[in-house]
Amino acid sequence: MTTVLHKPVLHKPVLHKPVPKKPVPKIRFNIGLDRFSGLYLWAAFIVIFGFWTPALFMSMSTVHLIASTQAVSGILALAVLIPMICGQYDLSVGANANLTGMVAVVLQVERHWPLLPTLLVSVVIGVLVGVVNGFIVVRFRVNSFIATLGMGSVLTAFMLLVTNSQQEPVPLSAGWNNLTQYPVFGFQVIIYYLLALALIAWWVVEFTPAGRYLRAAGGNPEAARLSGVRVNRLSWWSLIAGGAISGVGGVLYTSLTGPSLTFGPDLLLPAFAAVFLGSTQLQPGRFNVWGTMLAIFVLATGIEGLQLVSGAAWIGDMFNGVALVLAVALAASRRGKPTAIRRRAIKTAVAQSEAQDAAVEAKTSA
Amino acid sequence: MPPALEIRGLSKTFGVKTVLDSFELTVQPGEIHVLLGQNGSGKSTLIKILSGYHDPDPGGLVRVGGGELHFGSPASSRALGCRFVHQDLGLVETSSVLDNLLIGPGFPTSAGTIRRRSARKLARDALAAVGLDIDPAKPVAALGSAERTGVAIARAMFRPAAGHLSGQESRGETKPAALILDEPTAALPVNEVERLLANLRATAATGVGILYVTHHLDEVTGFADRVSVLRNGVLIDTWRVPELDRDRLIHQLIGAELEQVQRIETPRADTRAQPPVVSASDLWAGPVEGLTLDAWAGEVTGICGLTGSGRESILGALFGARPRAGEVRIAGKPLKPHRTDLAILAGVAYLPSDRRASGAVMDLTARENLTLVNLKPFWRHLLLRKKLEKAEVARWFEKFDVRPKDGISDPLNTFSGGNQQKLLFAKWLREIPKVLLLDEPTQGVDVGAKAELHRQIVAAARLGAAVIVSSTDLDELVTLCSRVLVIRNGQIFEEITGGNLTTSTLNRSFHLEPAGAGNNGDHSAS
Repeated sequence: MTTVLHKPVLHKPVLHKPVPKKPVPKIRFNIGLDRFSGLYLWAAFIVIFGFWTPALFMSMSTVHLIASTQAVSGILALAVLIPMICGQYDLSVGANANLTGMVAVVLQVERHWPLLPTLLVSVVIGVLVGVVNGFIVVRFRVNSFIATLGMGSVLTAFMLLVTNSQQEPVPLSAGWNNLTQYPVFGFQVIIYYLLALALIAWWVVEFTPAGRYLRAAGGNPEAARLSGVRVNRLSWWSLIAGGAISGVGGVLYTSLTGPSLTFGPDLLLPAFAAVFLGSTQLQPGRFNVWGTMLAIFVLATGIEGLQLVSGAAWIGDMFNGVALVLAVALAASRRGKPTAIRRRAIKTAVAQSEAQDAAVEAKTSA
Repeated sequence: MPPALEIRGLSKTFGVKTVLDSFELTVQPGEIHVLLGQNGSGKSTLIKILSGYHDPDPGGLVRVGGGELHFGSPASSRALGCRFVHQDLGLVETSSVLDNLLIGPGFPTSAGTIRRRSARKLARDALAAVGLDIDPAKPVAALGSAERTGVAIARAMFRPAAGHLSGQESRGETKPAALILDEPTAALPVNEVERLLANLRATAATGVGILYVTHHLDEVTGFADRVSVLRNGVLIDTWRVPELDRDRLIHQLIGAELEQVQRIETPRADTRAQPPVVSASDLWAGPVEGLTLDAWAGEVTGICGLTGSGRESILGALFGARPRAGEVRIAGKPLKPHRTDLAILAGVAYLPSDRRASGAVMDLTARENLTLVNLKPFWRHLLLRKKLEKAEVARWFEKFDVRPKDGISDPLNTFSGGNQQKLLFAKWLREIPKVLLLDEPTQGVDVGAKAELHRQIVAAARLGAAVIVSSTDLDELVTLCSRVLVIRNGQIFEEITGGNLTTSTLNRSFHLEPAGAGNNGDHSAS
């Protein structure tokens, strides 16, 4: 028998005796150390680095820099997040983004395509990657971890084929640069794309039946299926969404920072770190959109600050790696544990029902 | 001879609340003593004190085989000869029975190598001592659930004779005096329970005192010598088993009368005039072979049969939870196999037998589980309205008396088994199903919650649902059903209705040897 948190339901005789009043619980200020730990950490980073290197760190340019460099990381984190909620790993998001980003460059530089068709084709490639991922996972019943790991490698090969392994020149069109770098309220416009995508993801995950089904399928696929959720189709869709979002992220990356043959894999780990760290924030125990966003910026602020202070190049990799492992360990240790607030509520509920039982006992023995 | 287990004035308080209040109990050598109590009555606290996990309040006394127990010391508990079989058996499923038995005490070795033959003999003897005859080389995963519990008992009772094991292992431990089992049948289907009880009787016959903790009333008669009832931490009394009938026992156990469930007695003429709501013909699914079945609105149809007869596959096949061949019609319209969403749209509800594996999403909240099947009422202007959802869930909490009342947004795994099952009932009844398929609807649920669920089943049928209940609990079928279909070899063997519907006729029907088939007596329950 496990520890019983609640009393079993019995049909107790109606009480006439007043139930002894429960002691008024002491009002405690709940600072939500667990749910909001990321926010506190963020504040701590800002204070520490603010005092350490006020000239470098406490400037609007640092804020702008973090916002735009992390926008793509944030978008890729969303691409990881959606399939993850459905219980599917998508490890191909980085390679996918790299491919679509480079395709966009090649189409413009070598084929002289105009901007709009270029964007369209690039994003469609991202979607197609998602379709194929879904096909492999759903139809061939290959574990998504393996399927997308392999797919990532295949996509990297495609990217090298498309570019001939040559570093492409930057497309010279104002539209291409303005796509991400156009200033809006002082920030480069790309951060607003992230915001828009996050809002859409938030809406889908938290406020639509589809989001509920995603969570159910991720939590227990068989139970979800027996509740009428079409788990296979949903998994497929989640991987397509992941592919589409990575496609968008890839194009935005090359528009923002220029062509590169290796940026994809570098974005994968921070994305996973953010998603897992995010699942310990705001809605602990659940993969969630704003937790993920918070994690992206907390990590970025920490890395940026340390780099400004030390100038060391290894800090980013170290920070992200430690964060990923730590986040998963944290998530595992708190799985199934009720939050502090709930624990207290359960305790009072148990005490209350004990008191009731005692009253019944006194009555029946009398 | 001193009692196997003697408990005097044992109390335990956590903070201000007393969970065990001057508890007294003796178990004589060779006696089977059942301790009955609802969830939360203090049973597990008692076991934890005996096993040395909890320290009781000062003043209590426990003697095992005459020796006084040092509280809070698992070593003392073991040294005195106290042995435990917990609900979670703790067997390594992929390992053999032999490895499971000897991994604790150690293997007989010479020069570091396991002496296979003597290890086998040790294991065989240990199994035989508790009345089990299974091959020690078998992996635990290949055993039935009763046999697994048997292996756990054998492991608990295992005492290598001095010198049998080499080196430091041959401590020559004391003979086990008391065996304490914590709800060993909670996960067992009813027909397996009988086997386990037989094993326990064999064990008791060797002179061990057995304390058997459970909330299943039906295991008392014909098995136990004495029974004690624990309610809210207080020992109500101890009786010799023949002195006590079932109704009195229930009264003692829950401290109130249990309202009787009134089954719908005969097939209803009004609905029988209509075509059947569920109509399956030539159904094939695993052990189900060409079964034909009809069920009408307003009735509760029972399905029973031994494990392996196909009984456990029928409902899942009808719903589309498992692969099937053959035709299933709901209100005349054929149902696509494998499309649970279409089955639900057609008005079918299916409660699987395994709550954890396929019944519920344990990490989601009670609310999310309850509304998963149908979110339409809360979907307004492109948003799921949580306020509407919470209000509706609160109504179901009220209706089923789910505790804790304010737990609407708590993960389902924080609820007790009975409350989880109530929530899953609510999840389906919310749909006002035309067809309600219930697989083991009250397994692992205590008496109070069980009665509540039974009332809901009958109420759903009265409201016009065609209910089909598949259960290993014959009492449950007799309580609920207007007719019971007995399944054998994947087909309906017999239909039992009306006055004939009693546990004894059911038992007779499914244990009766079919003519010509000389079965090897696989089901010793008859």
